[in-house]
Amino acid sequence: MNPVLAEIYSTVLPAAPFLIGAYVLIWLAVLIFILVINNKVRHAEQQLMLLEETLSRQVRSSEDLE
Amino acid sequence: MRSSPWPDRIMPLALAIGALLTTTAFLLAFLVAPLVAGATVGSTEVIGGIAVSNKLLLSQKIFFFHVPVAIVSFAALAFTAFYSIRYLMTKEPQFDTRARIATEIALVFIIATMASGDLWTRFDWGVWWVWEPRLTTYFILMLLVIAYFILRTAIDAPERKATFAAVFGIITFVDAPICFMITRLVPSSIHPVVFSTESGMSPLVLVPFLLALFGMLLVGFSLYRVRLRQVTLTDRIEQVKQQLEETWQNRNLMEG
Repeated sequence: MNPVLAEIYSTVLPAAPFLIGAYVLIWLAVLIFILVINNKVRHAEQQLMLLEETLSRQVRSSEDLE
Repeated sequence: MRSSPWPDRIMPLALAIGALLTTTAFLLAFLVAPLVAGATVGSTEVIGGIAVSNKLLLSQKIFFFHVPVAIVSFAALAFTAFYSIRYLMTKEPQFDTRARIATEIALVFIIATMASGDLWTRFDWGVWWVWEPRLTTYFILMLLVIAYFILRTAIDAPERKATFAAVFGIITFVDAPICFMITRLVPSSIHPVVFSTESGMSPLVLVPFLLALFGMLLVGFSLYRVRLRQVTLTDRIEQVKQQLEETWQNRNLMEG
């Protein structure tokens, strides 16, 4: 390779791992947050459904007692 | 069935547009934006019809996402301050919740900024860290945001916790404009002034940068809404649990 061109491009390849690492870390931070929140939303929705069902059953049986 | 508020309804669209803009910005940054010139080399070589006499820096491509992510962290902290002020004015717990979530979003983007910036620093400056004005003020900002959450866990009484956190949230935000303006207040050869008419950004660089910025702002907004929805759901669950407990107690009393 032309020595001048080699010098012009000398930092390109060594920079690649740092560049890839930076992009991966940015999206990893965002993705981890999305996954954690999504997990919590699904858990909360399941819990809410169960609780509302139980509550309506309880209310009905209380009314029957009265 | 409750209808969801308009920000929740537009959230999926905002996330989709955010993803589209950031993807476009990524492609433009690597396929269209030219490599930035670094240190001069001994002689000149013609590349693609252009005379080049400098080293071409691939590491500068980190800029296209590193700066937008940092700006989103500032924007999130602005919302922390806004909702903190509203909480102090009204004492409504919903504003405390919103301020807390905005600070969480700020922390996510601060971590992303720190991580990407650190890798850039390591390659370009040869060190993992340097006590340079911009880095130092941003590091202080990160510590303040972490301290905000430590403060919240340290206080049990809900109203006291919310009041202290609101005041601390406002103080934390004060560092954001300082951090943003520090390159103008204390000029450093390391961190250039980006937002200036003299920044010399060509349209080929400016367009992907702005797309990444608006894309990341939309992603940040979407994350905030998703988290708010989850917290609202959790609060509703707690209310239903309380109702259930009351019903059981009444039933036991009647049976007893």
